[in-house]
This record gives sequence, C-alpha cells and structure tokens, in this order.
Amino acid sequence: MAEFLQALAQGLLIGSTYGLLALGMGLVYGVSGVVNFSHGDFISLGMFLCLGLYSALALDPYVSLIITVPLMTVIGGLVYWYLLRPMVGHQFLMVVQLTLGLSLVLQNGILMVFGGQPARTPSVVESKLLILGDVVVRVPHVIAFVVSFAMAIGLYIMLRSTDFGRSIRAVHQNAHAAALMGVDVSRVQTLTFALGIGILAIAAALLLPGTPIQPAQGLRYTVITLIVVALGGMTNFVGIMLGGLIIGLSEAYGTIYLSDTLGMLLPYGIFVLIMLFRPQGLTWSSSR
Amino acid sequence: MRQEFYKTLMSPVWLVVLLLAVVVPPLLPSYYLHIVILSLVYVALASAWNIVGGMAGQISLAHSLFIGTGAMLSTALLLKLGINMWLGLVISAVISGVMGAMIAWIDFRFRLGHLSFVLITLAFAEMGTVIVEGWDFLGGASGLLLPQDKGDFLAFQFGGGIGAFWVMLVLAIVSILINVAILNAPLGYYLRTIRDNENAARAIGVNILRYKVAAMVISAMLSSVIGTAYVRYLTFADPYLLVSPIIIIEVVLFATVGGLGRAYGPAFGALLLVPLGEILRGKLGGTLPGLHYFIYGVVVIAVILMTPRGLLPLFEKWFSRARPKAATTK
Repeated sequence: MAEFLQALAQGLLIGSTYGLLALGMGLVYGVSGVVNFSHGDFISLGMFLCLGLYSALALDPYVSLIITVPLMTVIGGLVYWYLLRPMVGHQFLMVVQLTLGLSLVLQNGILMVFGGQPARTPSVVESKLLILGDVVVRVPHVIAFVVSFAMAIGLYIMLRSTDFGRSIRAVHQNAHAAALMGVDVSRVQTLTFALGIGILAIAAALLLPGTPIQPAQGLRYTVITLIVVALGGMTNFVGIMLGGLIIGLSEAYGTIYLSDTLGMLLPYGIFVLIMLFRPQGLTWSSSR
Repeated sequence: MRQEFYKTLMSPVWLVVLLLAVVVPPLLPSYYLHIVILSLVYVALASAWNIVGGMAGQISLAHSLFIGTGAMLSTALLLKLGINMWLGLVISAVISGVMGAMIAWIDFRFRLGHLSFVLITLAFAEMGTVIVEGWDFLGGASGLLLPQDKGDFLAFQFGGGIGAFWVMLVLAIVSILINVAILNAPLGYYLRTIRDNENAARAIGVNILRYKVAAMVISAMLSSVIGTAYVRYLTFADPYLLVSPIIIIEVVLFATVGGLGRAYGPAFGALLLVPLGEILRGKLGGTLPGLHYFIYGVVVIAVILMTPRGLLPLFEKWFSRARPKAATTK
C-alpha cells in the first residue's frame, strides 16, 4: 500500500509538470497549427541556461527564472517571426522538418557550449524531503506541482478574460474571421509562440533540481510532450493537464510494478490505446 | 503505363547517372567510398519511405521498426540461432511486412487523422527501441557484433568496401525503380487519390484498405532488406543507430527536402544532405563536438526556408524554363 501511495504521489507530481510542458505546445498548435519538434530542445535550453547562470553567478534555478523567462520568450518570438512565419501556408511536414532542423541547431549549440557530460544544477531545496505518513516526496516535486497548476489556472484565466486571451481564442477558432475583425493574426501567433517558449523556461527550472541533464535529452521530452498534447485532444486545457497526469502516473506505476522494459512501454501502450479508442482526446467537450 | 516506365528507364539522364555511379566510385579512396555507400543507403531508405510517406501521404515514423527488424533480427538470428543471414533477411522482411500491414490496418480501422498517425507511429517506434534495448536476444542496449566480412557470398558477405557499394547501389536503384513503377501503375494513382482526398477516393470506390496495406507492406519489406544490408556493411548492430526513431526522422528529412511523392525527390535529398553531413563531420568532427551538426542544422533550415516545396520541384522549374517542353506532372 505504501508503495502504491508513493507511486501515486510521484506520478501526480511529475505528471503535473508534463502537463505544463504540453500546455505551451497545445497553445501554439491551436493558434498556428505548428507542431514544434524542437519543443524538448527548448526545455534543454532552459535547463542549460539555469546551469550556466549557476556556474557563472551561483544563482539558484528558481532565481534564474528572472533572467531565463524573458530571454526564452524573446528567443521564441524571434524564432517564430523569422523562421516559422514565412512557412505559413506550406506543407505541414515542411514546417515539422524546419523545427527538426532547429532541434539539431539547439541541441548541438548546447553541446558546443556545455559539452556532452551529464550535469546537475544544485538548488537549495534539492535534497529536502516532505514526509506524509508512509509517503516521502521531494520538495522540488511539490513546488513543481503547485507552480504547474497555478500556471495552468493563470493561463486559463488569461485566455478567458483578457483581450490578448480573446484574440488567441479568436485565431484558434477561425483565423480568417479573426483577421477580418481586425486581429493581427501573425502578431498573435508570434506572441503565443513566445509565450509557449516562456512557459518552457519555467517548466525547465521546475524539472531541474535533482535531474541530471545532457544535450541529447531533447527528443525524449518532445515525445512525452507530443503524447500528452495528443491525449488532451491537442488544444483542450483540462485534457492536456489530465494527459500529463496519466503519463506521469503510468510511468511511476510502470517502473514500480512491472519490469524495467514493460514499465517503460506502459505510457506508450496507454497512449496508443487511448488514441485508437478516443481519438478526440480525453475530455468530451472541445471548448476551453 | 508500361511505356512510361520503360521510357524513364531508357532516358539519357538515367543512363548517364547510372554509368557515373558504376564507373566512378570503385576508383575512390575508401573514405569517399564510405560516403558514397552511406548516401546510397539513405537514397534507398528515403525512396522506400516515399511509397508510404510521399505517395499515400501517410507520415509514418514507424519505419525505424522495419529498418531495425531487418538489422537487429537478422543479426540475432545468425549469432544466437546460427540461421544463415540470407534466410534471416527473408524472415525479417516478412515480419516487417506483417507489422506494416497491421499498422496500415490500424490506420484504416480507426480512421486516424494525419497527426494521430504520425504520433501513433512515433509511439510504436519508441516502443520498438525500448523492446530492443531490454531484450538480450536482440542485443540489448550494447548491440551485437557480426563476424568479420570475408566476402563469402552465401553467408551474406560481400567483402566490405566495394562489395557493399555494389549491394547498396543495386538496392538504391531497385528502390527508385519500384517508385517509378508504382507511380506509373494503377497503385500509384490510387495512392495519390487517397492522399489528396480520402473520402472522395472512398466514394468513387477505391479500396482504401487494400492499397494502404499494399503500400505499407512494400515499403516495410524494402526498408527491412535495406536494414539487413546496412548492418552487414556496418558489422556492428548498434540499437541507438539502427532502431531509434532518429534514423527515420533523418530519412523523412531527406525525402521532404528533396521533394515528396516524386520518384527521384527523396533520392535527390539524400544525395545532397548525406554527403554534406559526412563531409562536415570529417572536416569539423575533431574540433568542437556538436559543431558539424550545428552547421548541418543551419543548412537544413536555410534550404527549407528557400525551397519550401522541396528541392526537386525547384530544379524541375529551372529545367523546364530552359526546355519548355518538359512535362512537370505530379
């Protein structure tokens, strides 16, 4: 039983961060139809920026956010404006290939600067534990859980009740009509992409304490994110967070109750089954 | 249709390229021969993928399963059970074909959208990697080492270097010719109809399941055979190289950059990008780790931004401007 609860806690905590990772991709897909295969490498970039700031200025990853979030947001905006915007209207696959090229550039740029050895970034809360009865959880995971849900709720409110949020939803529903109503579609798409990358900077810092990082990890994060977004029905907020929890839980239970290999297969297996039998994603309505 | 096929076969451009491909490489030093062989491997793989990805418009990332099966299974059968690699090649190809048919059936039965198909095949590819790495019979994470290549043809050995070149040249040509043949056969027209509008194709009575399965099985078996030949050339069956989805992502990159759905597009992309990547690696590999891939990535982005429809269509446009009569059919 203790094992069961432990896995439950672990899965929920990690899963919430997976959900946050996926929200950024879901937003971008909803607004501009771009599936960003360099998503995971932007997470890497966020993590390595934290590492760099720690080595240079001894900043804690959580403090580094003051620098990494604005920086990554600007990078995201520039990438969309100069690289992805010119591809609008071309084949979906070409855009995907472009983001794969971007993934190569990011991954190897990081490799050039930081080298290929796995690295860790220490944080003050790294080794702190929270003990609730039989369940032991690590404080960074709790922080990640709380911040992820706070961010998700914040984004939801932003989409619901700010002008920028309304313009995002307008472009998502019908870009042509939005343009006719005076919404600058390119601008909204660029800002959304920038926002999505900015969110990744936060998610990167949340995942960082206690996690060894290396430049080649990007693809794995991209795949997890894609799976979570697809589980959530691509653009559904609640569905995406739920998808994150499902993947987090299946990873946690898979590694505890099944052999290594089977445990690693479980999230993919669950994903394939859900995609086959509920292709519209987990939730019923597609409104957000 | 037949006439089209033979006309392409007899066209002067083909013959000149073939002649160059046959005459020049045997004279090259071994390093450049390696680049040529590698390019041919990817020409063959990209052309094989094109049958499904380009003509039928199904962006399958599960092809790393077929390449991996061809490479790892045939090696494991030889090393663990002593089964001749020729037989291993056939067994692997049949298993790949069956897997391909199952994936095509799943796609048909559940009417997957484009994006769902990409993601599900990617999940299959990741599952394949996990299985190979966790199963000692297939070499686990450390891979398998084939016995030295002594040039014994009956044991699927071709004497390395130049022998591997001939095998890969044949496979690449066969792969391209299958593309040309399918494009000019009814199957090619059905596939393009399905790609362009599946519902309309269904409505006019195209048997979607049959043609999707046919395309996938041909493509999967071809990929598997290429995988077996590739691993014989490499001698070391490395799961990170041969089974990980990265190999198919590369193949899709070459096919897309070259020009999807054309008979020569994928080959063109591979012939351009593989040597570029290898030469960059050779020139810069020893300096700063990551530099050559970094430059490669920049080139890929630049090429895509400049030719968003693929390289081959662009060249065809130049070509047809010079010679207005040349047909540019899709």
